Amino acid sequence: MQASKPEHFNLNVKKALAQPDLKGIIRRTTDKADAKRAEAVVNFPEFEKARLQGQKIKDHTIKHMAHYLAEFEKNASAQGAIVHWASTGEEASRIVMDICKQHNAKKVTRSKSMLGEEIGLTHSLDNSDIERIETDLAEHIIQLAGDPPSHIVWPAMHRSREDVIKLFRQFHKDPTSSEEIIDLVDSARRDLRTKFLAADIGISGANFLLADSGSTCTVTNEGNAELTTTPPKVHIITAGIEKLVPSMAHAVPLLRLLTRSATGAEITQYITFHNGPKRINDADGPEECHIVLVDNGRTKMLADDMKEMLRCIRCGACMNHCVVYKHIGGHAYGSVYPGPMGSVLTPHLNSLEVANKQTHACTMNGRCEEVCPVNIPLPKLLRSLRAQSWEKKFEPLTNRLFVKIFAQLAKRPKLFQFTSSCSVLFMRVFSKNGWIRFLPLAAGWTKNRDLIAPNSQTFMQQYKKHQKPKSNRSA
Amino acid sequence: MQKYKSSELSRARIFKAIHEAAPENQASKSDIATEALALLSLSEGARPELLSSDAAEAMIMRIQAGLVIGTTIEKIKTLDSLPTTVQSFLDKYALPPCIKIQDLSDFQSLDWGVISTNSDVREDNSVGLCLAEYGVAETGSFVVHSSPEMPILINFLPLYLLAVVPKSKILHYMDDYALIANDIAKHAKTPRNMCLISGVSGTTDIEGVLVQGAHGPKILHIIVVEDI
Repeated sequence: MQASKPEHFNLNVKKALAQPDLKGIIRRTTDKADAKRAEAVVNFPEFEKARLQGQKIKDHTIKHMAHYLAEFEKNASAQGAIVHWASTGEEASRIVMDICKQHNAKKVTRSKSMLGEEIGLTHSLDNSDIERIETDLAEHIIQLAGDPPSHIVWPAMHRSREDVIKLFRQFHKDPTSSEEIIDLVDSARRDLRTKFLAADIGISGANFLLADSGSTCTVTNEGNAELTTTPPKVHIITAGIEKLVPSMAHAVPLLRLLTRSATGAEITQYITFHNGPKRINDADGPEECHIVLVDNGRTKMLADDMKEMLRCIRCGACMNHCVVYKHIGGHAYGSVYPGPMGSVLTPHLNSLEVANKQTHACTMNGRCEEVCPVNIPLPKLLRSLRAQSWEKKFEPLTNRLFVKIFAQLAKRPKLFQFTSSCSVLFMRVFSKNGWIRFLPLAAGWTKNRDLIAPNSQTFMQQYKKHQKPKSNRSA
Repeated sequence: MQKYKSSELSRARIFKAIHEAAPENQASKSDIATEALALLSLSEGARPELLSSDAAEAMIMRIQAGLVIGTTIEKIKTLDSLPTTVQSFLDKYALPPCIKIQDLSDFQSLDWGVISTNSDVREDNSVGLCLAEYGVAETGSFVVHSSPEMPILINFLPLYLLAVVPKSKILHYMDDYALIANDIAKHAKTPRNMCLISGVSGTTDIEGVLVQGAHGPKILHIIVVEDI
């Protein structure tokens, strides 16, 4: 599947809505995640307090980001890691590729990292003579399929069991003949095991960077991060600078929030703190450890007063609860980060001119903010991006024209009421049994769903009627 | 390997951008530390309640309630009965008497009888046995630290894993472990890896169905030893 681009959002949405099974496939996972998260919150009555604590920890770290970055660099270096800095995604990817080339790496294992996707590392590896081996099961599936990820927690949620059966039979050395999911997972286990042990370099991301120790923390359920980072001679970590927290004690409350919000589990099976290369005489571990700290638009978010977005701990709860995401899926956004958080992040990682349409693909129902474990005011941030988009004249001419016409009408109450009455009459011409199946100038809406027919009177007409004394009303 | 020149330029660029975005955030190190410490005091009312006030009991109850994926737990008095416990585990899953035990004198000195103790964990159907540094009641976790005696892979390669946890080293909360880790760091003895393991290797990546044994163990048995 060709990676879609953020600037083609409208076209991507049309394609997504035209896929008859996509909505059902997405909802199978997101609805389960919704329910499990809700159950986890009920079973953790202290959730709101934990959430506030998590928000404060992230705000504190963002406020003192320069201090904590310097601390992290000093302590990670003291642990024996080599710390690199990258202003852009391209630069980060280039650093990783250079390290791979210097070690003459032929095989590289990678544990799931959305930052790796963000900086284009997967493409850089694929365009070299290095074999890229994705070790997270979902990433393994989409690598075989040639797909981009469609969700930050379940990147292969758009793929059905039938798809996986076909892919594994085509690509695994010793595929199963069974169609049971348990056997499919076993097939992947067999296929990946020797690859884990034969890799020259292991690349991981980081869920947290601990400033006071220079540790990086990975969180997985599969245990693939440890299998990626231990056998090879070199471990490379790529991490966004917003992943910082002051210490392990500060990471703990965020871990409680992260797993409950992502999958509804109280904790993930594997949480590992990585502290540089192996120590003298250690039984296993890499001899060299590199940490690439990536900006790629994050400091711009600080400057643009979007710092609340830097709280994000990448749980995916906002997209699991987003009515738009549930209809169109992740690929339509044309970005590594889909859904509400992606609609705020992508304009900063790419540009608002390219990704402004995503900011409008929001009903403002507020569910994303309600479920965000660190209280990111996503609707407010999206509104702010819409305003910026308007000010910078990124909106299509037709939109700008309609808004200007509306503004003129809104300033003239009588003209506004007259136009509203005409609109109601016009809409009722196309209504049948209380619904409108087609409406000129609103085909974008009626193509995919019916529009409820308006009342025969406008709000103001009804208001005036109700304001009249009862005796007059019956007259 | 040396750092790149571009990396130094990027470093300067990133710090400059942060300072320009928030020039007023120039608090002293001690003020930042005080503020950070105050945030931890909020944990008191923001942690889940344990099933028992006794940490070991809380951990056992949690695992026995089925709240830790693919995990069972039992308690033994001393390490002397460990070989018998391991044999029962092997019998339960109809496994051959071959395991890989961590290279520790405490384990090596035990009478293992017919059980061979140096199998290759790279073989997929293997059984591993390790000694945990700590247990955590809140999450039903055991903690391992990499060292010359602790290969990290022994916890991730076998299909079956047995973890011995000294009862006296079971902590109430993850926060308690964080304090210990902080103390280890102060003495500059931080191991390469510190792993909190809370159940078995699992995945829900195909149609949201949970499968155990994605890459690592599919069965985990924790043995709490009272006197060790």
